[in-house]
Order: sequence, then structure tokens, then C-alpha cells
Amino acid sequence: MIEQRPRSSGRGGVALMLAPGSAFYLLFFGVPMLSLFVLSFWHAEGFDLIPTFSLENYGKIATSTLYQVILMRTIGVGLVTAAITVPLAFALSYLMRFVFERRAQIILQLLLISLFSGYLVRIYAWRTILGKQGLLNSTLGWLGLIDHPMDFLIFSKFAVIVTLVGLLLPLAVLPIYSAMSNISRDHLEIASDLGSRRFYLVRTILVPMAMPGITTSFAFTFLLAAGDFVTPNLVGGSQGIMIGNVIADQFRGTGANWPLGAALAFVTVCCVMLIVAAINRVVRWVSRW
Amino acid sequence: MNDMIKQVLDNRLHRPMNRRRFIQGAAGLTTLTVLGAGGAFADGKLGGPLNFFGYDGEQGPNVTKDFLAKNGIQLNAAFAGAADETLTRFKTGGRGSMDIMTMNKDFQRSIIDAKVELFQPLDLSRIPNAAGLFAGFKDANWLNRDGKMYGVPMIWGDEPCIWNPAKWNGVPDRYTDFADPKYKGEIVLLDDPFGNIWLFAKSVGVKDPSSLTKADLDKAVAAMMTIKPNVAAIGASLGDMADIMIRGDASMGLGGWAYQTIIAKQKGTTLVVGSPKIDDRFFWSDAYTIAIDAPNLDNAYAFIDFITAPESNAALATELGSGATVEKAYDLLTDDMKKLYDYSIVRQPGAGILSTQTVVPKQEASGDIVGAQAWVEAWQAFKVA
Repeated sequence: MIEQRPRSSGRGGVALMLAPGSAFYLLFFGVPMLSLFVLSFWHAEGFDLIPTFSLENYGKIATSTLYQVILMRTIGVGLVTAAITVPLAFALSYLMRFVFERRAQIILQLLLISLFSGYLVRIYAWRTILGKQGLLNSTLGWLGLIDHPMDFLIFSKFAVIVTLVGLLLPLAVLPIYSAMSNISRDHLEIASDLGSRRFYLVRTILVPMAMPGITTSFAFTFLLAAGDFVTPNLVGGSQGIMIGNVIADQFRGTGANWPLGAALAFVTVCCVMLIVAAINRVVRWVSRW
Repeated sequence: MNDMIKQVLDNRLHRPMNRRRFIQGAAGLTTLTVLGAGGAFADGKLGGPLNFFGYDGEQGPNVTKDFLAKNGIQLNAAFAGAADETLTRFKTGGRGSMDIMTMNKDFQRSIIDAKVELFQPLDLSRIPNAAGLFAGFKDANWLNRDGKMYGVPMIWGDEPCIWNPAKWNGVPDRYTDFADPKYKGEIVLLDDPFGNIWLFAKSVGVKDPSSLTKADLDKAVAAMMTIKPNVAAIGASLGDMADIMIRGDASMGLGGWAYQTIIAKQKGTTLVVGSPKIDDRFFWSDAYTIAIDAPNLDNAYAFIDFITAPESNAALATELGSGATVEKAYDLLTDDMKKLYDYSIVRQPGAGILSTQTVVPKQEASGDIVGAQAWVEAWQAFKVA
């Protein structure tokens, strides 16, 4: 029997199908981003915004140590968060796909349940765990392992990274698990029968085949971590401030400077996109090895 | 009728306060304040939309709920992070759609001084309850110009130090003394550039801490840097600051909120309030204003009059943990609430230090004096360091 190919609906049909999604994207992402981009060339004078074309704000960012330091710190926190979250998500996905396959759906649902509680609630939960008199310090003290609470656990970069990992792990698992779902157990068994050790098997079969999920997961966690400002605000203390906090300051209150805030937002977006693109390129290059 | 309301309020509000009682009290107040309104506005003119733009909570959602329902008024509330956002909104298409705006005294004074178009003079004959304001508010210099009143204050307060008495006996005389290593990891600040820089500018001896030159600002920030190693956290809000102290993650709050002691008490923690003897603290007050070209003037006047009634003002002050602005509202407060603020300040004509003290800097630089943006950048540099 000759397999029938689905009839093409033509260019017009494709355009029609893409229209709602494109319109949504344009309206709720394109237009606001364009407005912000235009605003970044304006000038704030007193309480007024002066429409003009000036590179003043970008010049200020390029020459200010404050903004450069905070941008580097933000990228660092984003990369470390992603570097911790993605392997954890990979390990969890592996367990769900190949070890506890029958209970995978239950594990997945348990992971996703945490997303049902509010973002702030989850951050405050981490505060309860990491605080000076929190769960972790109290337990270690009770076990006699520490004499004094470990101060670095809360209101520090460490606290920001741990909280972000906790918040982003369920999101990071989804793309990797989805990619692993398409990997047949037969591939692994054949390789194993042919004498592949477990690590070699993971490196040469599992990782390359799950790579689309891994890169998506990395991009998710890195972008969300680098763009977050609530977590550093609530658990970062005087050490964990990130670029999101500086941008937010430019949009609120007396002394706000919307055009500078818009320029900072764009510089941040460009930096993180460049890093994601660079990492994707490196991954592709390594995959060809 | 009013006597009955006061008696019930008295019984309800003067009981020892715990979390449940607080909620019961607020609910009772809501109901009773509506009863107290007693159809004063049932003149057929009210109803329809009322647009509010100001600080979250100052629209009194619990206090005004039944008043709004009874008069068929739909309150459309939008919130500002800071007072000057009202001006931004007003100038960017908000004019003609904004009714009630709330703002702090420093910003209101700067608008009146600069004769910027934003709010209109009030017709006090339409706000009879304004006659009950404390004497200090009636002629306050940030509310009045040329015999006209531009705002009706609804709450006021200060930002003192709050600390855990189990750890500290008191506070030092100056804010710069908090650089002492004994405070390491114990201090919590509010994420507020102006309050913090103002306190330290005062502490290093700047005569007018709201008008800083670049050198003054650098000096204030250098003083702040000396306490940075002792700062455990920067609270996202006053409530968050209280939470940090209640959890025991910090024990000394600078630029705090007297109401934090009540929040702590409800959660079984004792916090006390006080201020450095020499540097003292700063004060604030917020007021309702009516926007120029407000489209729903009748609703706006009725709302302000209702919320300025003693019962409403007491309920609002209690709900927001702030000082009451109406003389008779003071009598309706609990003993805990009465003790939070020094009411002798607002009983005196001119409102004493509230009138003379300015905290928020000018938005724009002027001569040697730096603008608010420089303060924000200095605060960011402090946080990043």
C-alpha cells in the first residue's frame, strides 16, 4: 500500500495556522520589548521622560564599575545555578526513565506539585530551612555537629544559589525527561552487552541523545536564574544582590531612571543570550567529537 | 448611635491583642465603621467608579468595603511604589482618569513648592470630618498653601531602631556606632536608599541630610560601608524586616517600624523600639489628595470624608500599624497602638518635627546638591560592595 502523505495546505494555510501564535508573541513580547528598547535611548529629567536619541545610558553602563560588577556577578550566579541544576535534573530524569520507570509518573507529579505553591511561598520555605534558627542549623546543632549556627547558609550568594536550584529543578527536569523518553532501553542494553561501562554508556549514548533536552534545560535555568530579582531580594541579604534588583530600582520610586533601567535590561538580555548561544555552539562542537 | 458604636469599639479594641483578636477587631471595625457612616452620603450623587492610585493598603480595603458597597462605588485601585509615580502616571495619560492619590509629606511639599499641577485644593466643606484632625495636621506646611489645604493625612509615624532585648540593652548614640564588630551579622536594614543615607548623613554631621553635595553623599556612604560587615540582611519591606528579626536571623533593625514590635508580639517574640540619643530618627506622614480634573469628584470627597471619621481612621491606623491622624480616633486605639507613637508631636500646631524634617531628596540635581538618582546609585553601590 502506498503511504499517503498529508496534503499540504500551502503557504497561506501555514501562515494562517501560525497567525494566532505570532500575534500573541508580537503583542505580548514584541511590542513591550520594542517600547523598552526605544525607552533606553531616552533621557530622564526630573519627573519627566524626554524622548530623544542618546547613547548616554549605554555609555554609563559601559563605564560604570558598579554595573559591570553586578552584571558579572549575575552571570556567575546564573551559570553556577544552571551548572548544579542541570546535572541534578539529568540524574533525576535518568532514575525516572530507566530505574523507577513504573513510578515515573508519580515522581514527576510530586515534582510538579511544588510548582503549584506560590513562588514567594517556596522562597520563604527555603528561608525557613536555611535560617540561623532554621531546619538545617537546628538539626545540625541537635546532632551536635555544630556549636553555632552557620551564618553563610542564609543571606548570602550561597543561599541565592541553593534557593534558585530548589525553585528551578522541577522546570529543568521536564525537557530532559521528555528527551530521555525517546531513548529506547534497547540502545543502552546493546551497548552494555557489547561491554560498555556505565560512564562510557552515559557519555556516548545517553547524553548525546538527550542533548536537546539538556540544552533547553540549561537555557531555562540560566535565563530564569540570571533574570530573577525576588530570590536575591529575600535570601541574598547584603551579599546576594543581582542585576534584576538594580534594574527594579530604576523603575520605582524617587530617583528612578526608566531609560537607564531599560538600557540595563537590554544589556542583560544581550549578555545572557550571547552566553546561551555560545554554550549551544560549544555543546554542538563537543557533540561532533 | 455613635455612642453605641464607640462603646462596642471600646470593648473590642481594648482587649489584650493576639493574632485572632487583631483579625476579629479589624472585622468588627469594618462593620461598625459602615454602621457609623449611617447614610451620610445617601444623597443620590454617589455611585460608579472611583479611581485610586497610591500606596497599597491606604485605600483601606477592609475599612471601606461596606461603605463602597452601600453607596454603589466601584473602587479601582492601582498602586504606586513611591509617591512620584503618581506624577508620572498623571503626566503620561492619567490626567482626567485619576481621582484619589496618596502621597508622602516630602513629595507633597515639593509638588506644592514647585507649583506642579497634580492635585487640587480641597473643599473642606465637603470633608466635615477633617475638622477632627489633630491640630498639627490642620496647619501643616506640607499640606497647606495660601490658605488652601491640599491633602487630608490618614496616617503618620517614624522609623526608629527595633531590636531584640534578649541580645541588646539599647542602641548606641549614633548610627555610625553600629560599625562596632559586636553587631556582626546582627543588623537588618530596609531596602530604602533615602532613609538609610539620610540617617548616616545626619550621623556624620551633615546639617541638612536631605540636601547632599557629592562630598556629603560620599561621606555618608563611607560611614555606611563601615557597618556593612555587620549587616546580615536588607529587608524587602518593613514586614519582611520584621520577619527576619522574628526568625532570629538578625537582632537589630535600623530605620524600622514601631508596629514590628506588635507583629513580633503576636508571634511570641519580644522586640523593643528606640532611637540613637544623638542621631534620633525620621518621621513621615501620608495624605489623601484629589487629582486635578478628577472625573469622580463626589465619590472622592465622600470616600475621604468617610475614611477620616474617627472610627475609620482608628481602624485604618490599626490595620496599617501607624499613627492615627484624627484626635478622636486616638481614643479608639488599643493601648498597644497608643504607645507606638509620640502623639504630642501632632497635637502641637505645625506638627513640630514633621514639618521641619525632610527626608526625601529633590529629584533633580541643583547646583552642588546631587539629585535623587545619585542617592539611588550610592545605595546600589553599598548593596553591591
